[in-house]
Amino acid sequence: MKKKSRAVSILLTVILFLLAIAFLAPLLWMVSSSLKSSMQVFEQPFHWIADRFRFDNYLAVWMAEEIPFWRLFGNSLLIAVVGVSGQLLIGSLAAYAFAKIEFLGKNLIFMIFMVTMMIPVQTMIIPRYVLFSTLNIYNTLWCIILPHFFNITTIFLLRQFYMALPDELVDAARVDGAGHFRIWWQVMMPLTKNGMISAAILAFINCWNEYLNPLIFISNQKLYTVSLGIRWYLHDIAQEYNLMMAAAASAVFPIIVVYVLAQKYFEEGIASGGVKG
Amino acid sequence: MNRKRETLIGYLFLAPALIVFLMLVAFPVVMSLGLAFTKWNFFSGWGKLEFVGIDNFVKLFTRDRSFKTALVNTLLYTVTTVPLSIFMALILAYVLTGKVYGKRFFRVAFFIPYISNMVALGAVFKFLFRSEGPVNSLLTGVLGLDGMPQWLSSPNLSRVPIICVMVYAGIGFCLIIYIAALKNVPRELYEAAAIDGASQVRQFFDITIPLISPATIYLTVVRMIAAFQVFAPINIITSGGKSSGSVSLVVLIYEEAFKNYNFGYASAESWILVVFILGVTLLQFLYQKKWVHY
Repeated sequence: MKKKSRAVSILLTVILFLLAIAFLAPLLWMVSSSLKSSMQVFEQPFHWIADRFRFDNYLAVWMAEEIPFWRLFGNSLLIAVVGVSGQLLIGSLAAYAFAKIEFLGKNLIFMIFMVTMMIPVQTMIIPRYVLFSTLNIYNTLWCIILPHFFNITTIFLLRQFYMALPDELVDAARVDGAGHFRIWWQVMMPLTKNGMISAAILAFINCWNEYLNPLIFISNQKLYTVSLGIRWYLHDIAQEYNLMMAAAASAVFPIIVVYVLAQKYFEEGIASGGVKG
Repeated sequence: MNRKRETLIGYLFLAPALIVFLMLVAFPVVMSLGLAFTKWNFFSGWGKLEFVGIDNFVKLFTRDRSFKTALVNTLLYTVTTVPLSIFMALILAYVLTGKVYGKRFFRVAFFIPYISNMVALGAVFKFLFRSEGPVNSLLTGVLGLDGMPQWLSSPNLSRVPIICVMVYAGIGFCLIIYIAALKNVPRELYEAAAIDGASQVRQFFDITIPLISPATIYLTVVRMIAAFQVFAPINIITSGGKSSGSVSLVVLIYEEAFKNYNFGYASAESWILVVFILGVTLLQFLYQKKWVHY
């Protein structure tokens, strides 16, 4: 019996492994093509590894004259860092208020927040365009960053964490003369660290991969994000697939690193939406 | 006095979120609803804004062929990608929570497409599906198919690579949710069933499936809403003009708004999307209890 179940485990593992390879094949193809010459990409029959690795493709993409990838990378990083920090700070304050402060209209506001969650961002994009044009911030990174400052999922996630903390903590701190702001900053927020990390990683990946917003709000090439950079290779240079794939791999790689480093927090963040619901 | 103070402090904490909310969510929603009943080209200025009642919606459903295509396509993308990705994720999750080696590696491998940049994935799939690309050489070489299907230029076939990339990217998310749900199924239930002589297949259908039904409903709703909003893969894989066969609702909204600058008409289109999403959410809300089988 033991032996048989072990054999089944091995067999399943082998099948899974083959599946995983098939699943990763498109991404492996991306990396393989990014290391070929532009002719070799189209060669038949297909080779995973060409005569030699052309790492200079990456150099060409990162140091390109018109849209150097380092600048796209920097723009996307700036959007992500400012967007995520703002979202966490604003979200944490709101979540604390919803969980630990009793005030008039609290439930009504929370309900309105939850209802607007059902309205897709595509509906808001036209008025935002009008608004950003009127405020004269169209074609700046603010158009991309500002919408990230309000995220109901983050507020909801952090609220759960604050609600799990005992009210006595707040009461004890108040007896010691601390106000809500100090309680939030010094006592409570540090205790929601896991929630903050989960929310931060989800938000970071959202910011990094965003496409529709930059496509609409950014036309200045100096402000391009990584997504717009890959698109630029697709549309503006004919068939330089090796360079496009070097750009694509450069955009995907940092996200994989972030995910592998923080797998636990990331999966907790995602699962917190589903299992409790 | 104390009560008033608490309310004041509460609003102070909420103020930053409330300001961004009013500016970038509440105001846009109201304005968009208003614009849906107007005819307005952004570049002709506020003076040319014209109230047209329900004309936009009448035109959408009676005279707009590309809207009809977009509606059909959006539904097609939804009914194909959602069940496919959920089903495959369920099988994978079930195997991955059982006795196999290298669980962590497999989780990472199946999850990476979900967090990868959709523009990057779209570009990769565009190459894989070109007429002399790997997919076609696989079809002709291994399956002995005659002739090369034109995945990218044929209006009908161009939906296939889009569906493929959506399923590919969607599986990882469903997998994580299912793994979490499967871990919550109490071990004792399986042990009890095994003592009663229930086979593994029986256990799967009579214990596992019903107990993880909340996760299935959640995934169905969330993935449907995501599929309604599909944009990036279409925009990348088939440079998705209004007349192309692959056009979706959001692609249509994007083109109407930011190619033609018909903000009134595009707003009307976007409220059709709202109706879709509200519909699914309400259905979930009303029937959740009935659908959960335990």
